[in-house]
Amino acid sequence: MLSMHAIKVEKLDKKFGDFKALDGMDLVVRKGEVYGLLGPNGAGKTTAIKVLTGLLKKTSGDAEVLGVTIPNKDITQKIGYMPQETALYIGLTVHQNLEFFGKLFGMDKAKILERETELLKFIDLEKWRDELVANLSGGMKHRVSLACALIHEPEVLFLDEPTVGVDPELRVSFWNFFSKLKEKGITILITTHYMDEASHCDRVGFMRSGKLIAEGEPQAMLKEAGATSLEDAFLFFARRDRT
Amino acid sequence: MNIKRALAVSRRVFMDLKNDKRTLALIIIAPLFAMGIFGLAFSGQISGVNVIVVNDDMGMATPMGQVYLSEIVINNLDPDTLSITTMDDVASAVAEIENGNAYAVFYFPANFTNVTILAYNQMTEASTSVDIHIDMSNVNVAEAIMQAFNDAVQTTMQQRGLEMPVTIDRQAVYGQNASFMDFFVPGIMAFVVYILTTLLTLINFVGERTSGTLARLTATPLRESEIVAGYAMTFSIVGTLQALLLLTVGMLVFGVNVEGNVGLAFMVVALLAIVCQALGILLSSITHREAQAIQLIPFIIMPGFLLSGVFWPLEALPLWLRPFSYLVPPSYAIDACRSVMLRGWGLEMIWTDVVALIVFAAVFLVLAVLSLKRRG
Ligand SMILES: Nc1ncnc2c1ncn2[C@@H]1O[C@H](COP(=O)(O)OP(=O)(O)OP(=O)(O)O)[C@@H](O)[C@H]1O
Ligand SMILES: [Mg+2]
Repeated sequence: MLSMHAIKVEKLDKKFGDFKALDGMDLVVRKGEVYGLLGPNGAGKTTAIKVLTGLLKKTSGDAEVLGVTIPNKDITQKIGYMPQETALYIGLTVHQNLEFFGKLFGMDKAKILERETELLKFIDLEKWRDELVANLSGGMKHRVSLACALIHEPEVLFLDEPTVGVDPELRVSFWNFFSKLKEKGITILITTHYMDEASHCDRVGFMRSGKLIAEGEPQAMLKEAGATSLEDAFLFFARRDRT
Repeated sequence: MNIKRALAVSRRVFMDLKNDKRTLALIIIAPLFAMGIFGLAFSGQISGVNVIVVNDDMGMATPMGQVYLSEIVINNLDPDTLSITTMDDVASAVAEIENGNAYAVFYFPANFTNVTILAYNQMTEASTSVDIHIDMSNVNVAEAIMQAFNDAVQTTMQQRGLEMPVTIDRQAVYGQNASFMDFFVPGIMAFVVYILTTLLTLINFVGERTSGTLARLTATPLRESEIVAGYAMTFSIVGTLQALLLLTVGMLVFGVNVEGNVGLAFMVVALLAIVCQALGILLSSITHREAQAIQLIPFIIMPGFLLSGVFWPLEALPLWLRPFSYLVPPSYAIDACRSVMLRGWGLEMIWTDVVALIVFAAVFLVLAVLSLKRRG
């Protein structure tokens, strides 16, 4: 099905018991867009990503990725997911992790090696290829986790706080890399608490209590809020939402 | 179900086991350790039991000279089992039992030879007997003493051409010349695979859950059935290798003999491993942290220990407990491995055990897949 939307969410609810982690969330991410999901701890950013990647069952509402209703196993081939926690096999080497995820996506050995070389260069861990993940630093593990999400050249990327614990220099190169991915037409949904990073996004959405309370291009958001920083802009929209 | 993805999982588990030297050591050393320790502890050949002989036998004059049947019996007592000393009077010999220096006293009366021979030739109505005073406080030792004495009497009778009114002729249907280790190795093979496969899968899987990798796999094309199949492949191979290792060491070090088709026994072990890895995955779904998994360990080991028949025959269990052994998968594997390796039975004889294991495997595999499909 042809669709202009990479991600489309309508009136999405997710309950844990009586608690609504997502409460009528609406969201549209266009193809080829870098969309930043911002919001305080517990706003529901991770929950939204987990529903969209099939980890959690939605309670009600609609959720589509690339025009396909979620959950759907076939669409996983086209999506890449980097969880908030560094979910890697720490008893395996960097190479073995990449190889394992590559195989799950049906890649052959040669293709995996080719991608691995590219990605290791990008995350600057070529020398650590045969080291056990358990022996890497926290930031390094994060970089490997990102590489695992990218191994199969997904069309839509879900990145849950990909730059946490990554040093400033590398964070800059991450964002350069995301721009390159965007040039290739890849859609990225990213969460972050670093507002300076958010300004790199095409659009940002502010989340609060399981809802999207405002969205738009970063510059336009600043203008609308009459603020100089996205932090202040968020506070403005949060106040407006409450009243 | 995509076999390539299942193979990828299988390989990943292999590498996890291989990269971790401690796990690798556990896989190799634990089985040998279990075989060595339990093998030595339970093989229990009783030997060197102190017994005292008091011999008042006067013998009997025959054309060939004076004959002492008592002497012949005493000479026929197995010198490995019994360590024999002689004394002159019964009272002080029994006192040795009382103060714990001896387990038994054999007393041959003065008329022992005389009455035995006359009675045999139907020349007297009288009878004679050997008095045995015995410490019954250790049942196994007492039994070994009586066995040794009976053997000596039988041998003597045969040597002298005397006939016993009844002869007992024991023919081993199975297990002719079987040693304790011959009996023990097939059992411990299955037992070790049961314990280690269940524990390793449990630990590996709790790791998958806590680290978030299991959740991450949900966002890939990998299906739950492929995860379970991958684990099953790895652990059936690891289990078979463990059994092979045990058997090899058993044969080289303990001189274990095998009657039947070892390949069939390995197939049973592999099947058991598949049951156990599914059990491990199931158990991991009721634990959320490593500490909780550790609390489960006694509940895995104890039933296997008591109810599988590996150390004590099921016939030694109280009647009400026996049905529970049917719920313990290693029971079937142990029974099957012993039947194959000691009795030389083929698949046509052990099929009930194999079917039971297949049923366990089918049920546990389905439950394991369902437990993985369940999500928040
Ligand atoms: N499995 C769960 N069971 C119960 N409550 C949950 C569960 N997962 C998340 N929640 C709750 O849902 C809410 C949203 O959590 P979520 O992880 O989506 O927040 P977040 O926006 O990603 O926050 P952070 O910035 O800290 O990562 C929180 O209040 C959290 O406690
Ligand atoms: Mg989060």
